Amino acid sequence: MNAGVKKRTVNAVMSLLALAAGLLVIFPLVYGVMGAFKSEAEFSAYPPTLLPRSFSYTKNFEAVWAMVPVLRFFLNSLIVAVLGTTVRLSFAVLAAYAFVFFEFKGKKALFIFILATMMLPADTMIVTNYQTVARLGLLDNYLGMAIVSFVGASQMFMLRQHFLSSPRSLRDAAQMDGCGDIRFLVSILLPVSRPLLVMLYVQGFVALWNTYLWPLLVTNHNDMRTIQVGITMLTTVEGTNYHQVLAGVAISLVPAFLLFLLLRKSITRGMVSDAEG
Amino acid sequence: MPSDAHAADLRRRKPIRQQLKPYLFLLPILTFAVGFVYYPFFKTFLYAFSQVNFKGEIVGFAGTDNFSYLFSRRDFKIALENTLRLMLINVPATVALTLGMALLVWKRRHLSAVNETLFSVPIAVSMASAGLVFKVLLNPTVGYFNYALGLNIGWYTDKNTAMYGILMLTVWMGLGFNFLLFLSALRSIPSGILEAATLDGAGPLSRFFRVQLPLIVPTLFYVACTNMVQAMMTSGPVIILTQGTSSLRATTTLIYMMYSSGYSSANYGLAACVSLVTFFLTLTFTVLGFWLEGKRGSYQ
Repeated sequence: MNAGVKKRTVNAVMSLLALAAGLLVIFPLVYGVMGAFKSEAEFSAYPPTLLPRSFSYTKNFEAVWAMVPVLRFFLNSLIVAVLGTTVRLSFAVLAAYAFVFFEFKGKKALFIFILATMMLPADTMIVTNYQTVARLGLLDNYLGMAIVSFVGASQMFMLRQHFLSSPRSLRDAAQMDGCGDIRFLVSILLPVSRPLLVMLYVQGFVALWNTYLWPLLVTNHNDMRTIQVGITMLTTVEGTNYHQVLAGVAISLVPAFLLFLLLRKSITRGMVSDAEG
Repeated sequence: MPSDAHAADLRRRKPIRQQLKPYLFLLPILTFAVGFVYYPFFKTFLYAFSQVNFKGEIVGFAGTDNFSYLFSRRDFKIALENTLRLMLINVPATVALTLGMALLVWKRRHLSAVNETLFSVPIAVSMASAGLVFKVLLNPTVGYFNYALGLNIGWYTDKNTAMYGILMLTVWMGLGFNFLLFLSALRSIPSGILEAATLDGAGPLSRFFRVQLPLIVPTLFYVACTNMVQAMMTSGPVIILTQGTSSLRATTTLIYMMYSSGYSSANYGLAACVSLVTFFLTLTFTVLGFWLEGKRGSYQ
Protein backbone atom coordinates (compact mmCIF):
# COMPACT_ATOMS: atom_id res chain seq x y z
CA MET A 1 0.00 0.00 0.00
CA ASN A 2 1.09 3.53 -0.76
CA ALA A 3 2.62 5.14 2.36
CA GLY A 4 0.69 8.39 1.83
CA VAL A 5 -2.64 6.60 1.58
CA LYS A 6 -1.85 4.54 4.64
CA LYS A 7 -0.99 7.64 6.64
CA ARG A 8 -4.17 9.37 5.56
CA THR A 9 -6.24 6.33 6.50
CA VAL A 10 -4.62 6.16 9.93
CA ASN A 11 -5.30 9.86 10.46
CA ALA A 12 -8.93 9.54 9.45
CA VAL A 13 -9.47 6.50 11.68
CA MET A 14 -7.84 8.23 14.66
CA SER A 15 -9.92 11.37 14.12
CA LEU A 16 -13.17 9.44 13.96
CA LEU A 17 -12.20 7.30 16.94
CA ALA A 18 -11.46 10.45 18.92
CA LEU A 19 -14.76 11.98 17.82
CA ALA A 20 -16.64 8.89 18.99
CA ALA A 21 -14.82 9.00 22.34
CA GLY A 22 -15.52 12.73 22.62
CA LEU A 23 -19.23 12.21 22.03
CA LEU A 24 -19.18 9.50 24.68
CA VAL A 25 -17.60 11.96 27.14
CA ILE A 26 -20.26 14.61 26.62
CA PHE A 27 -23.09 12.07 26.36
CA PRO A 28 -24.26 12.42 30.00
CA LEU A 29 -24.61 16.18 29.57
CA VAL A 30 -26.44 15.93 26.25
CA TYR A 31 -28.74 13.35 27.80
CA GLY A 32 -29.36 15.60 30.79
CA VAL A 33 -30.18 18.67 28.72
CA MET A 34 -32.47 16.65 26.42
CA GLY A 35 -34.26 15.28 29.47
CA ALA A 36 -35.04 18.80 30.60
CA PHE A 37 -37.44 19.09 27.64
CA LYS A 38 -39.32 15.86 28.34
CA SER A 39 -42.73 15.61 29.95
CA GLU A 40 -43.36 13.27 32.86
CA ALA A 41 -45.11 10.83 30.53
CA GLU A 42 -42.16 10.79 28.15
CA PHE A 43 -39.89 10.15 31.07
CA SER A 44 -41.76 7.15 32.40
CA ALA A 45 -42.25 5.62 28.93
CA TYR A 46 -40.37 2.43 28.10
CA PRO A 47 -38.07 2.13 26.23
CA PRO A 48 -36.50 5.40 27.40
CA THR A 49 -35.83 7.91 24.65
CA LEU A 50 -32.86 10.14 24.01
CA LEU A 51 -34.48 13.05 22.24
CA PRO A 52 -37.52 14.84 23.59
CA ARG A 53 -40.66 14.91 21.45
CA SER A 54 -40.45 18.68 21.24
CA PHE A 55 -38.01 21.36 22.34
CA SER A 56 -40.85 23.79 22.87
CA TYR A 57 -41.97 21.90 25.98
CA THR A 58 -40.84 24.32 28.68
CA LYS A 59 -43.10 23.29 31.56
CA ASN A 60 -40.14 21.84 33.49
CA PHE A 61 -38.27 25.11 33.39
CA GLU A 62 -41.39 26.99 34.46
CA ALA A 63 -41.87 24.54 37.34
CA VAL A 64 -38.30 24.95 38.53
CA TRP A 65 -38.61 28.72 38.21
CA ALA A 66 -41.73 28.62 40.37
CA MET A 67 -40.33 26.15 42.91
CA VAL A 68 -36.98 27.76 43.77
CA PRO A 69 -35.54 31.28 43.45
CA VAL A 70 -33.20 30.47 40.56
CA LEU A 71 -32.04 34.03 39.94
CA ARG A 72 -31.32 34.49 43.63
CA PHE A 73 -29.21 31.28 43.57
CA PHE A 74 -27.22 32.62 40.62
CA LEU A 75 -26.72 35.97 42.33
CA ASN A 76 -25.51 34.23 45.52
CA SER A 77 -23.04 32.10 43.58
CA LEU A 78 -21.81 35.13 41.69
CA ILE A 79 -21.28 37.20 44.86
CA VAL A 80 -19.47 34.39 46.69
CA ALA A 81 -17.26 33.52 43.70
CA VAL A 82 -16.34 37.16 43.01
CA LEU A 83 -15.72 37.95 46.68
CA GLY A 84 -13.64 34.83 47.29
CA THR A 85 -11.60 35.09 44.10
CA THR A 86 -10.94 38.83 44.40
CA VAL A 87 -9.83 38.71 48.03
CA ARG A 88 -7.73 35.58 47.50
CA LEU A 89 -5.95 37.05 44.51
CA SER A 90 -5.35 40.40 46.23
CA PHE A 91 -3.83 38.71 49.28
CA ALA A 92 -1.70 36.51 47.03
CA VAL A 93 -0.45 39.53 45.05
CA LEU A 94 0.55 41.40 48.22
CA ALA A 95 2.37 38.38 49.64
CA ALA A 96 4.13 37.60 46.35
CA TYR A 97 5.24 41.23 46.11
CA ALA A 98 6.72 41.13 49.60
CA PHE A 99 8.62 37.93 48.89
CA VAL A 100 10.10 39.29 45.68
CA PHE A 101 10.84 42.95 46.40
CA PHE A 102 11.66 43.08 50.13
CA GLU A 103 14.41 41.66 52.27
CA PHE A 104 13.29 40.92 55.81
CA LYS A 105 13.78 38.66 58.80
CA GLY A 106 11.98 35.33 58.59
CA LYS A 107 11.37 35.61 54.84
CA LYS A 108 12.08 31.96 54.10
CA ALA A 109 10.19 30.66 57.12
CA LEU A 110 7.10 32.72 56.32
CA PHE A 111 7.23 31.61 52.69
CA ILE A 112 7.24 27.97 53.74
CA PHE A 113 4.58 28.69 56.36
CA ILE A 114 2.22 29.91 53.63
CA LEU A 115 3.14 27.22 51.08
CA ALA A 116 2.60 24.48 53.66
CA THR A 117 -1.10 25.35 53.81
CA MET A 118 -1.35 23.38 50.56
CA MET A 119 -0.52 20.21 52.50
CA LEU A 120 -3.55 20.62 54.76
CA PRO A 121 -6.64 19.69 52.71
CA ALA A 122 -9.55 22.05 53.39
CA ASP A 123 -12.03 19.17 53.37
CA THR A 124 -10.51 17.63 56.51
CA MET A 125 -11.14 20.87 58.41
CA ILE A 126 -14.69 21.75 57.47
CA VAL A 127 -16.11 20.79 60.86
CA THR A 128 -13.75 23.05 62.84
CA ASN A 129 -14.01 25.85 60.27
CA TYR A 130 -17.77 25.58 60.52
CA GLN A 131 -17.49 26.22 64.26
CA THR A 132 -15.30 29.28 63.67
CA VAL A 133 -17.66 30.72 61.09
CA ALA A 134 -20.67 30.03 63.32
CA ARG A 135 -18.97 31.75 66.27
CA LEU A 136 -18.20 34.78 64.09
CA GLY A 137 -21.91 34.96 63.29
CA LEU A 138 -21.24 34.37 59.59
CA LEU A 139 -23.70 31.56 58.87
CA ASP A 140 -26.06 32.39 56.01
CA ASN A 141 -23.66 35.15 55.07
CA TYR A 142 -21.64 35.76 51.90
CA LEU A 143 -18.46 36.46 53.86
CA GLY A 144 -18.86 33.17 55.73
CA MET A 145 -19.20 31.29 52.44
CA ALA A 146 -16.12 32.90 50.90
CA ILE A 147 -13.87 33.27 53.95
CA VAL A 148 -12.32 29.79 53.83
CA SER A 149 -10.98 30.42 50.32
CA PHE A 150 -9.01 33.58 51.08
CA VAL A 151 -5.66 31.78 51.35
CA GLY A 152 -4.27 31.01 47.88
CA ALA A 153 -0.83 29.54 48.41
CA SER A 154 -0.46 28.19 44.88
CA GLN A 155 -1.60 31.54 43.42
CA MET A 156 0.95 33.28 45.64
CA PHE A 157 3.62 30.89 44.40
CA MET A 158 2.83 31.42 40.72
CA LEU A 159 2.69 35.21 41.11
CA ARG A 160 6.03 35.14 42.91
CA GLN A 161 7.62 33.19 40.05
CA HIS A 162 6.17 35.69 37.63
CA PHE A 163 7.32 38.77 39.60
CA LEU A 164 10.80 37.25 39.91
CA SER A 165 11.05 37.15 36.14
CA SER A 166 10.09 40.80 35.76
CA PRO A 167 13.12 43.07 35.36
CA ARG A 168 14.48 44.38 38.68
CA SER A 169 15.46 47.63 37.01
CA LEU A 170 11.75 48.39 36.55
CA ARG A 171 11.28 48.84 40.28
CA ASP A 172 14.58 50.67 40.75
CA ALA A 173 13.64 53.16 38.06
CA ALA A 174 10.19 53.60 39.56
CA GLN A 175 11.69 54.22 43.00
CA MET A 176 14.11 56.79 41.58
CA ASP A 177 11.11 58.65 40.28
CA GLY A 178 9.64 58.62 43.77
CA CYS A 179 7.10 55.97 43.01
CA GLY A 180 6.06 54.09 46.18
CA ASP A 181 5.53 50.36 46.45
CA ILE A 182 1.75 50.43 46.19
CA ARG A 183 1.80 52.76 43.21
CA PHE A 184 4.48 50.69 41.50
CA LEU A 185 2.45 47.53 42.16
CA VAL A 186 -0.87 48.91 40.98
CA SER A 187 0.17 51.04 38.01
CA ILE A 188 3.18 49.14 36.66
CA LEU A 189 3.57 45.58 37.91
CA LEU A 190 -0.08 44.45 37.77
CA PRO A 191 -0.78 45.78 34.25
CA VAL A 192 2.36 43.96 33.06
CA SER A 193 1.13 40.73 34.68
CA ARG A 194 -2.37 40.91 33.23
CA PRO A 195 -2.42 37.56 31.38
CA LEU A 196 -1.44 35.63 34.51
CA LEU A 197 -3.90 37.57 36.67
CA VAL A 198 -6.78 36.94 34.26
CA MET A 199 -5.95 33.24 34.13
CA LEU A 200 -5.75 32.94 37.92
CA TYR A 201 -9.00 34.86 38.29
CA VAL A 202 -10.94 32.74 35.84
CA GLN A 203 -9.58 29.53 37.30
CA GLY A 204 -10.41 30.58 40.85
CA PHE A 205 -13.84 31.83 39.86
CA VAL A 206 -14.81 28.54 38.19
CA ALA A 207 -13.55 26.52 41.16
CA LEU A 208 -15.50 28.62 43.67
CA TRP A 209 -18.60 28.73 41.48
CA ASN A 210 -18.62 24.93 41.43
CA THR A 211 -18.06 24.37 45.16
CA TYR A 212 -20.69 22.26 46.85
CA LEU A 213 -19.89 21.03 50.37
CA TRP A 214 -18.89 24.25 52.13
CA PRO A 215 -21.81 26.42 50.94
CA LEU A 216 -24.12 23.51 51.83
CA LEU A 217 -22.80 23.51 55.40
CA VAL A 218 -22.85 27.22 56.15
CA THR A 219 -26.26 28.09 54.70
CA ASN A 220 -29.65 27.17 56.09
CA HIS A 221 -31.80 29.88 54.65
CA ASN A 222 -33.22 29.08 51.23
CA ASP A 223 -32.45 32.57 49.94
CA MET A 224 -28.76 32.16 50.71
CA ARG A 225 -28.19 28.91 48.80
CA THR A 226 -25.80 28.92 45.87
CA ILE A 227 -26.90 27.46 42.54
CA GLN A 228 -24.99 24.20 43.17
CA VAL A 229 -26.70 23.60 46.49
CA GLY A 230 -29.99 24.94 45.18
CA ILE A 231 -30.37 22.48 42.31
CA THR A 232 -29.70 19.48 44.56
CA MET A 233 -32.60 20.65 46.70
CA LEU A 234 -34.90 19.91 43.78
CA THR A 235 -34.45 16.20 44.50
CA THR A 236 -35.83 16.50 48.00
CA VAL A 237 -38.76 18.79 47.31
CA GLU A 238 -41.77 16.42 47.33
CA GLY A 239 -40.03 13.33 45.99
CA THR A 240 -37.90 13.35 42.88
CA ASN A 241 -39.23 14.65 39.60
CA TYR A 242 -36.39 13.78 37.30
CA HIS A 243 -37.57 15.90 34.40
CA GLN A 244 -37.65 18.95 36.69
CA VAL A 245 -34.29 18.14 38.28
CA LEU A 246 -32.77 18.02 34.80
CA ALA A 247 -34.33 21.37 33.94
CA GLY A 248 -32.61 22.77 37.04
CA VAL A 249 -29.33 21.20 35.95
CA ALA A 250 -29.70 22.61 32.44
CA ILE A 251 -30.26 26.11 33.85
CA SER A 252 -27.27 25.74 36.19
CA LEU A 253 -25.00 24.75 33.31
CA VAL A 254 -25.58 27.88 31.25
CA PRO A 255 -23.22 30.40 32.93
CA ALA A 256 -20.38 27.91 33.45
CA PHE A 257 -20.61 26.87 29.82
CA LEU A 258 -20.63 30.40 28.49
CA LEU A 259 -17.55 31.10 30.57
CA PHE A 260 -15.95 27.88 29.33
CA LEU A 261 -16.52 28.71 25.68
CA LEU A 262 -15.48 32.35 26.05
CA LEU A 263 -12.39 31.74 28.13
CA ARG A 264 -11.40 28.21 27.19
CA LYS A 265 -7.90 29.29 26.30
CA SER A 266 -7.16 31.05 29.57
CA ILE A 267 -8.73 28.28 31.66
CA THR A 268 -6.75 25.53 29.99
CA ARG A 269 -3.54 27.54 29.94
CA GLY A 270 -3.96 28.04 33.66
CA MET A 271 -4.36 24.36 34.36
CA VAL A 272 -1.34 23.47 32.35
CA SER A 273 1.04 25.98 33.89
CA ASP A 274 -0.36 25.09 37.31
CA ALA A 275 0.89 21.56 36.80
CA GLU A 276 4.26 22.69 35.61
CA GLY A 277 4.69 25.37 38.31
CA MET B 1 15.03 73.97 65.74
CA PRO B 2 11.73 72.14 65.45
CA SER B 3 12.03 71.48 61.70
CA ASP B 4 15.44 69.87 62.21
CA ALA B 5 14.09 67.69 64.98
CA HIS B 6 11.24 66.74 62.71
CA ALA B 7 13.61 65.80 59.87
CA ALA B 8 15.77 63.74 62.21
CA ASP B 9 12.65 62.08 63.54
CA LEU B 10 11.57 61.22 60.00
CA ARG B 11 14.98 59.83 59.20
CA ARG B 12 14.87 57.66 62.26
CA ARG B 13 11.29 56.57 61.72
CA LYS B 14 11.48 55.78 58.02
CA PRO B 15 13.70 52.71 58.31
CA ILE B 16 11.30 51.26 60.88
CA ARG B 17 8.37 51.86 58.54
CA GLN B 18 10.40 50.28 55.76
CA GLN B 19 11.20 47.36 58.01
CA LEU B 20 7.55 46.82 58.87
CA LYS B 21 6.36 47.11 55.30
CA PRO B 22 6.93 43.51 54.16
CA TYR B 23 5.07 42.22 57.20
CA LEU B 24 2.16 44.51 56.43
CA PHE B 25 2.03 43.08 52.90
CA LEU B 26 2.01 39.59 54.35
CA LEU B 27 -0.44 40.29 57.15
CA PRO B 28 -3.70 39.53 55.26
CA ILE B 29 -2.68 36.12 53.90
CA LEU B 30 -0.99 35.17 57.19
CA THR B 31 -4.07 36.12 59.22
CA PHE B 32 -6.29 33.83 57.21
CA ALA B 33 -3.70 31.06 56.94
CA VAL B 34 -3.59 31.01 60.73
CA GLY B 35 -7.33 31.46 61.22
CA PHE B 36 -8.68 29.05 58.63
CA VAL B 37 -5.90 26.53 58.03
CA TYR B 38 -3.53 26.19 60.99
CA TYR B 39 -5.98 27.00 63.78
CA PRO B 40 -8.58 24.44 62.60
CA PHE B 41 -5.82 21.89 62.11
CA PHE B 42 -4.52 22.25 65.67
CA LYS B 43 -8.03 22.40 67.03
CA THR B 44 -8.76 19.11 65.26
CA PHE B 45 -5.63 17.69 66.88
CA LEU B 46 -6.74 18.93 70.29
CA TYR B 47 -10.29 17.61 69.84
CA ALA B 48 -9.03 14.18 68.84
CA PHE B 49 -7.38 13.74 72.24
CA SER B 50 -10.08 15.45 74.32
CA GLN B 51 -13.56 14.84 75.63
CA VAL B 52 -15.70 17.29 73.70
CA ASN B 53 -19.34 18.01 74.48
CA PHE B 54 -22.06 18.57 71.90
CA LYS B 55 -21.46 22.34 72.00
CA GLY B 56 -17.87 21.82 70.91
CA GLU B 57 -16.41 22.65 74.36
CA ILE B 58 -13.49 20.62 75.67
CA VAL B 59 -14.50 19.11 79.02
CA GLY B 60 -11.55 16.83 79.71
CA PHE B 61 -8.55 14.94 78.48
CA ALA B 62 -9.38 11.73 76.66
CA GLY B 63 -5.97 10.34 75.79
CA THR B 64 -6.44 7.87 72.98
CA ASP B 65 -10.01 6.98 73.98
CA ASN B 66 -11.53 8.68 70.94
CA PHE B 67 -9.24 6.72 68.65
CA SER B 68 -9.89 3.35 70.27
CA TYR B 69 -13.62 4.08 70.12
CA LEU B 70 -13.28 5.02 66.45
CA PHE B 71 -11.22 1.94 65.56
CA SER B 72 -13.73 -0.31 67.31
CA ARG B 73 -16.59 1.00 65.21
CA ARG B 74 -17.71 -1.08 62.27
CA ASP B 75 -18.80 1.94 60.24
CA PHE B 76 -15.27 3.34 60.45
CA LYS B 77 -13.80 0.14 59.00
CA ILE B 78 -16.38 0.28 56.23
CA ALA B 79 -15.68 3.95 55.51
CA LEU B 80 -11.93 3.33 55.48
CA GLU B 81 -12.28 0.36 53.12
CA ASN B 82 -14.64 2.26 50.85
CA THR B 83 -12.35 5.27 50.65
CA LEU B 84 -9.28 3.18 49.88
CA ARG B 85 -11.18 1.15 47.29
CA LEU B 86 -12.48 4.30 45.66
CA MET B 87 -8.98 5.77 45.53
CA LEU B 88 -7.35 2.54 44.26
CA ILE B 89 -9.82 2.29 41.37
CA ASN B 90 -10.21 6.00 40.65
CA VAL B 91 -6.50 6.77 40.19
CA PRO B 92 -5.55 4.08 37.63
CA ALA B 93 -8.88 4.46 35.79
CA THR B 94 -8.42 8.22 35.48
CA VAL B 95 -4.79 7.91 34.40
CA ALA B 96 -5.54 5.24 31.78
CA LEU B 97 -8.59 7.00 30.34
CA THR B 98 -7.20 10.52 30.18
CA LEU B 99 -3.82 9.40 28.85
CA GLY B 100 -5.67 7.38 26.20
CA MET B 101 -7.75 10.43 25.27
CA ALA B 102 -4.62 12.58 25.01
CA LEU B 103 -2.90 9.98 22.81
CA LEU B 104 -5.89 10.01 20.46
CA VAL B 105 -5.67 13.72 19.76
CA TRP B 106 -2.17 14.97 20.55
CA LYS B 107 -1.15 14.84 16.90
CA ARG B 108 -2.94 17.68 15.12
CA ARG B 109 -5.35 16.28 12.55
CA HIS B 110 -8.75 17.14 11.14
CA LEU B 111 -11.32 17.57 13.93
CA SER B 112 -8.51 17.98 16.49
CA ALA B 113 -9.92 21.24 17.84
CA VAL B 114 -13.43 19.77 18.08
CA ASN B 115 -12.23 16.63 19.82
CA GLU B 116 -10.09 18.56 22.27
CA THR B 117 -13.07 20.71 23.21
CA LEU B 118 -15.32 17.68 23.66
CA PHE B 119 -12.74 15.98 25.88
CA SER B 120 -12.26 19.04 28.07
CA VAL B 121 -15.98 19.74 28.60
CA PRO B 122 -16.14 18.11 32.08
CA ILE B 123 -14.00 20.93 33.56
CA ALA B 124 -16.93 23.30 33.02
CA VAL B 125 -19.39 21.12 34.91
CA SER B 126 -19.86 21.23 38.66
CA MET B 127 -20.00 18.05 40.71
CA ALA B 128 -23.56 18.89 41.76
CA SER B 129 -24.84 19.20 38.17
CA ALA B 130 -23.00 16.11 36.95
CA GLY B 131 -24.10 14.14 40.01
CA LEU B 132 -27.76 14.86 39.35
CA VAL B 133 -27.43 13.91 35.68
CA PHE B 134 -25.74 10.62 36.60
CA LYS B 135 -28.46 9.95 39.15
CA VAL B 136 -31.06 10.11 36.37
CA LEU B 137 -28.91 8.49 33.67
CA LEU B 138 -28.16 5.47 35.86
CA ASN B 139 -31.65 5.22 37.32
CA PRO B 140 -32.90 1.64 36.69
CA THR B 141 -36.43 2.62 35.63
CA VAL B 142 -36.17 5.91 33.74
CA GLY B 143 -32.45 6.12 32.96
CA TYR B 144 -30.91 5.45 29.57
CA PHE B 145 -27.72 3.72 30.69
CA ASN B 146 -29.16 0.33 31.66
CA TYR B 147 -31.41 0.33 28.62
CA ALA B 148 -28.58 1.08 26.20
CA LEU B 149 -26.36 -1.63 27.64
CA GLY B 150 -29.13 -4.13 28.27
CA LEU B 151 -28.44 -4.17 32.02
CA ASN B 152 -30.75 -4.34 34.97
CA ILE B 153 -28.80 -2.73 37.80
CA GLY B 154 -30.02 -0.35 40.48
CA TRP B 155 -26.74 1.54 40.41
CA TYR B 156 -27.25 3.80 43.39
CA THR B 157 -29.72 1.65 45.32
CA ASP B 158 -27.97 -1.73 45.17
CA LYS B 159 -25.22 -1.86 47.80
CA ASN B 160 -23.04 -4.02 45.55
CA THR B 161 -22.94 -1.52 42.71
CA ALA B 162 -23.37 1.85 44.44
CA MET B 163 -19.63 2.36 44.78
CA TYR B 164 -19.14 1.78 41.04
CA GLY B 165 -21.92 4.25 40.34
CA ILE B 166 -20.06 6.83 42.44
CA LEU B 167 -16.79 5.96 40.71
CA MET B 168 -18.36 6.59 37.31
CA LEU B 169 -19.18 10.12 38.44
CA THR B 170 -15.81 10.86 40.07
CA VAL B 171 -13.85 9.50 37.11
CA TRP B 172 -16.00 11.46 34.66
CA MET B 173 -15.48 14.64 36.69
CA GLY B 174 -11.70 14.34 36.34
CA LEU B 175 -11.63 13.55 32.60
CA GLY B 176 -11.31 17.10 31.26
CA PHE B 177 -8.68 18.43 33.62
CA ASN B 178 -6.33 15.45 33.48
CA PHE B 179 -6.76 15.06 29.73
CA LEU B 180 -5.52 18.64 29.30
CA LEU B 181 -2.48 17.94 31.47
CA PHE B 182 -1.50 14.87 29.44
CA LEU B 183 -2.22 16.67 26.17
CA SER B 184 0.15 19.52 26.96
CA ALA B 185 2.79 17.09 28.23
CA LEU B 186 2.65 15.06 25.00
CA ARG B 187 2.74 18.18 22.85
CA SER B 188 5.74 19.59 24.67
CA ILE B 189 7.90 16.64 23.54
CA PRO B 190 10.14 17.96 20.76
CA SER B 191 8.98 16.45 17.46
CA GLY B 192 12.62 15.77 16.50
CA ILE B 193 12.94 13.05 19.14
CA LEU B 194 9.90 11.21 17.82
CA GLU B 195 11.03 11.56 14.21
CA ALA B 196 14.45 10.16 15.11
CA ALA B 197 12.78 7.17 16.78
CA THR B 198 10.62 6.60 13.70
CA LEU B 199 13.68 6.72 11.43
CA ASP B 200 15.28 4.10 13.69
CA GLY B 201 12.34 1.89 12.85
CA ALA B 202 10.34 2.28 16.07
CA GLY B 203 6.62 1.57 15.63
CA PRO B 204 3.87 3.51 17.45
CA LEU B 205 3.95 1.15 20.44
CA SER B 206 7.66 1.24 21.06
CA ARG B 207 7.67 4.99 20.41
CA PHE B 208 5.10 5.35 23.17
CA PHE B 209 6.84 3.12 25.71
CA ARG B 210 10.41 4.17 24.97
CA VAL B 211 10.08 7.85 24.12
CA GLN B 212 6.77 9.42 25.12
CA LEU B 213 6.02 7.61 28.37
CA PRO B 214 9.41 8.24 30.01
CA LEU B 215 9.16 11.92 29.09
CA ILE B 216 5.68 12.42 30.56
CA VAL B 217 6.34 10.59 33.83
CA PRO B 218 6.35 13.87 35.82
CA THR B 219 2.84 14.65 34.53
CA LEU B 220 1.76 11.07 35.19
CA PHE B 221 3.01 11.42 38.74
CA TYR B 222 1.25 14.77 39.17
CA VAL B 223 -2.06 13.39 37.83
CA ALA B 224 -1.86 10.30 40.05
CA CYS B 225 -1.00 12.39 43.11
CA THR B 226 -3.71 15.03 42.73
CA ASN B 227 -6.32 12.39 41.94
CA MET B 228 -5.26 10.39 44.96
CA VAL B 229 -5.79 13.39 47.24
CA GLN B 230 -9.12 14.18 45.58
CA ALA B 231 -10.33 10.60 45.87
CA MET B 232 -9.38 10.50 49.55
CA MET B 233 -11.52 13.64 50.06
CA THR B 234 -14.63 12.28 48.31
CA SER B 235 -17.83 13.25 50.07
CA GLY B 236 -20.02 15.38 47.79
CA PRO B 237 -21.02 12.52 45.46
CA VAL B 238 -22.06 10.46 48.49
CA ILE B 239 -24.28 13.28 49.76
CA ILE B 240 -25.89 13.78 46.35
CA LEU B 241 -26.17 10.18 45.15
CA THR B 242 -26.59 7.78 48.05
CA GLN B 243 -27.40 9.79 51.17
CA GLY B 244 -30.76 8.63 52.47
CA THR B 245 -30.73 5.37 50.52
CA SER B 246 -30.08 1.84 51.73
CA SER B 247 -26.73 1.83 49.92
CA LEU B 248 -25.32 4.75 51.94
CA ARG B 249 -23.40 2.32 54.15
CA ALA B 250 -21.76 0.71 51.13
CA THR B 251 -20.53 4.10 49.92
CA THR B 252 -19.70 5.95 53.14
CA THR B 253 -16.30 7.60 52.86
CA LEU B 254 -14.04 8.93 55.60
CA ILE B 255 -14.82 12.57 54.90
CA TYR B 256 -18.53 11.77 54.70
CA MET B 257 -18.25 10.05 58.08
CA MET B 258 -16.43 13.07 59.49
CA TYR B 259 -19.09 15.38 58.09
CA SER B 260 -21.99 13.35 59.43
CA SER B 261 -20.51 12.66 62.87
CA GLY B 262 -19.30 16.23 63.35
CA TYR B 263 -21.96 18.26 61.65
CA SER B 264 -25.10 16.17 62.02
CA SER B 265 -24.40 14.26 65.25
CA ALA B 266 -22.20 16.87 67.01
CA ASN B 267 -19.71 14.16 68.00
CA TYR B 268 -16.72 16.44 67.60
CA GLY B 269 -14.11 14.17 69.18
CA LEU B 270 -14.98 11.37 66.78
CA ALA B 271 -15.10 13.70 63.77
CA ALA B 272 -11.65 15.05 64.67
CA CYS B 273 -10.21 11.52 64.82
CA VAL B 274 -11.62 10.67 61.39
CA SER B 275 -10.23 13.93 60.04
CA LEU B 276 -6.75 13.19 61.40
CA VAL B 277 -6.76 9.62 60.11
CA THR B 278 -7.72 10.87 56.64
CA PHE B 279 -5.11 13.59 56.76
CA PHE B 280 -2.27 11.28 57.79
CA LEU B 281 -3.25 8.58 55.29
CA THR B 282 -3.26 11.15 52.50
CA LEU B 283 0.04 12.60 53.67
CA THR B 284 1.60 9.12 53.79
CA PHE B 285 0.47 8.34 50.24
CA THR B 286 1.80 11.69 49.02
CA VAL B 287 5.18 11.20 50.68
CA LEU B 288 5.31 7.64 49.32
CA GLY B 289 4.58 9.01 45.86
CA PHE B 290 7.33 11.63 46.12
CA TRP B 291 9.74 8.96 47.36
CA LEU B 292 8.94 6.70 44.40
CA GLU B 293 9.31 9.62 42.01
CA GLY B 294 12.65 10.55 43.56
CA LYS B 295 13.88 6.98 43.36
CA ARG B 296 12.98 6.76 39.70
CA GLY B 297 14.85 10.01 39.09
CA SER B 298 18.05 8.77 40.73
CA TYR B 299 18.16 5.66 38.55
CA GLN B 300 18.16 7.61 35.32
